[in-house]
Amino acid sequence: MRVLIVEDDPVLADGLTRSLRQADYAVDCINDGAEANHVLATQSYDLVILDLGLPKIDGFEILRHLRHRGIKVPVLVLTARDALQDRVKGLDLGADDYMTKPFDLPELEARVRALIRRGQSGGSSILTHGTLALDIAGRRATLNGEPLDLSARELGVLEVLMMRSGRVVGKEQLAEQLYGWDEGVGANAIEVYVHRLRRKLEPAGVAIRTIRGLGYLLEKLPNA
Amino acid sequence: MPKSRTLRRQLLVWLAGPLFILWSISTLVDYDIAKRFVNLAYDRTLLETALDIGRQVKVVNNQIYVDLPEVAVQMLKTQETDRIYYLVTGPKGEFITGEPDLPPPSSLGLDRISYYDDIYRNRAIRVVALRVPVEPGSGKGAVLIQVAERVTVRSDFARRIMLRMGLPQALLILFAAVLVWYAIGRGLAPLSALRREIENRSHRDLSALPEDPAPQEVRPLIRAMNDLLQRLSKTLAAQQRFIADAAHQLRTPVAGIKTQTELAIRESQSGNAQIPLHQLHVATEQTTRLINQLLSLARAEPGTERAHFTERLDLNKLVREAATDWVPRALARNIDLGFDSPLESAMIEGDAFLLREMLNNLLDNAIRYTQSGGQVTVRIVPDAANIMLSVEDNGPGIPESERERVFERFYRVLGTGVDGCGLGLAIVREIAQRHGGEVTLGQGASGRGTLVRITFPPAA
Repeated sequence: MRVLIVEDDPVLADGLTRSLRQADYAVDCINDGAEANHVLATQSYDLVILDLGLPKIDGFEILRHLRHRGIKVPVLVLTARDALQDRVKGLDLGADDYMTKPFDLPELEARVRALIRRGQSGGSSILTHGTLALDIAGRRATLNGEPLDLSARELGVLEVLMMRSGRVVGKEQLAEQLYGWDEGVGANAIEVYVHRLRRKLEPAGVAIRTIRGLGYLLEKLPNA
Repeated sequence: MPKSRTLRRQLLVWLAGPLFILWSISTLVDYDIAKRFVNLAYDRTLLETALDIGRQVKVVNNQIYVDLPEVAVQMLKTQETDRIYYLVTGPKGEFITGEPDLPPPSSLGLDRISYYDDIYRNRAIRVVALRVPVEPGSGKGAVLIQVAERVTVRSDFARRIMLRMGLPQALLILFAAVLVWYAIGRGLAPLSALRREIENRSHRDLSALPEDPAPQEVRPLIRAMNDLLQRLSKTLAAQQRFIADAAHQLRTPVAGIKTQTELAIRESQSGNAQIPLHQLHVATEQTTRLINQLLSLARAEPGTERAHFTERLDLNKLVREAATDWVPRALARNIDLGFDSPLESAMIEGDAFLLREMLNNLLDNAIRYTQSGGQVTVRIVPDAANIMLSVEDNGPGIPESERERVFERFYRVLGTGVDGCGLGLAIVREIAQRHGGEVTLGQGASGRGTLVRITFPPAA
């Protein structure tokens, strides 16, 4: 996997380079915009980490140039600016993700992994959460390789929760997801599905937390 | 402004004062003129009477006597107030008829007719003395006829004339004063309007004052004020730009430090190096937070480019999303974060970006200062007039004596054992006020913890 870092701050560039090399990526690092343009025209990468505030040619310009030439490499934008307009502009120009400095290194690494994975395939249809696996296409769930007996609605709920593991999923989002099976799924029905799902997953240590007034959350596993 | 210094009062004093003095002088002059003419008229009547008496002087057998018909005498003596006194004395000063004790003229000149004032029976009188020759050409000398009347009649009359002239003048002055009072009020109305405009203005609003309704005389003042406002907002904007730029500039080096520290923690295996590295990490986290809060504050303050970026938005949705985003961090600290609202939506006029920053600061504070196992609840409570947002926790709370001070920038409650930079609530208040809201601090429902309440006026 080849990653290009375009960052003019030497300390940050060095930190990023070392961190990604530890994760066995082949990393190139460039500190000015003109050179980045040139390198991106001649070489191919699996990911570009792009700082917006560069000397000579800024990150927006590089991004515009890149997409203009039809290069589809995933781009993770790093920036000191977090105004909404900047964010929107970056994403409009074809950035795939956006991080504001200073950031947490583990989070950056996770996003790098996700972007590279997305760039490589259309995205896997198998979601995993510890020993729990869900085949979205096949509509089957397994726990420790053993098939789980889940209804279609329970599978629907589990799919949404697993896709957003560690984040809150609102009841209305779940209701929307189940709309295809049930006309107008009420909040009470959602509670029932979650309750059943919880009972089936609990023995494997998979916890679905209720967040007061907000929804449900599939708790992240400690090592994830 | 003390009352005596109002323009209206000053103008009134300067107009009415001299007018009153002029009126007094004019009244005195009126009285004097009236008295002169009244004297002239009364003296003439007095003389007529004396002449009438003179015509009745007769000489019979060398005896001088005055033949006054009884009717005429009665007429002279009728009324006590304007009664006429008379005395006729012969050429040698002998008494002929009338009141013998009527005082004689002090110095008898050679004039045929003379007038003088005197006192008679303790009353001021006016006397005419008339010399009438006894049988002219006979060389028998002349009789002296004195006719007198009380002065009161004249002064009463003069006073009446004075009043007749002075009263309308006084009324005229009063009317003029009322008119001036009203006219000044009318004239100063634009100034009052300007005052209200400035009084009702929020300290964030540095836009120009309207010039149109003001009279020509006031416009230069408004222009000067607008000029000042403009310079002020430029200075403010420059200052905020500086803070924002400085914070932005700090972000990259801090990102470098943070990344390097995290790498160092990962790479160093020895226990000794881990401790300082962790401290370094904590310090960079604090610096990061400070930078972000400085930026929030710079954005929330008046005078920024984002000054008028308001729209109709759903506070309910905004709060739910913000709370949702903070759930992972709350769970990491083993804090039960919840949201509670009886509404489907709560529409207000606001700036979504700033409100989001406000919520982030509120939630960050609540989660940061609440102990593990604690509870944080965000609520939306509508009341008759407003929409209220509250964030309640069951943490250590803020002592009552500190509740006003925590809104000050960089103020921190001592002894919390938590790393903060003291900008969170300053940002919250700044953003709330910008939305016409008020922030109050109280105690949680359980008698402990902190309850932050912010009221918002609903969207029109």
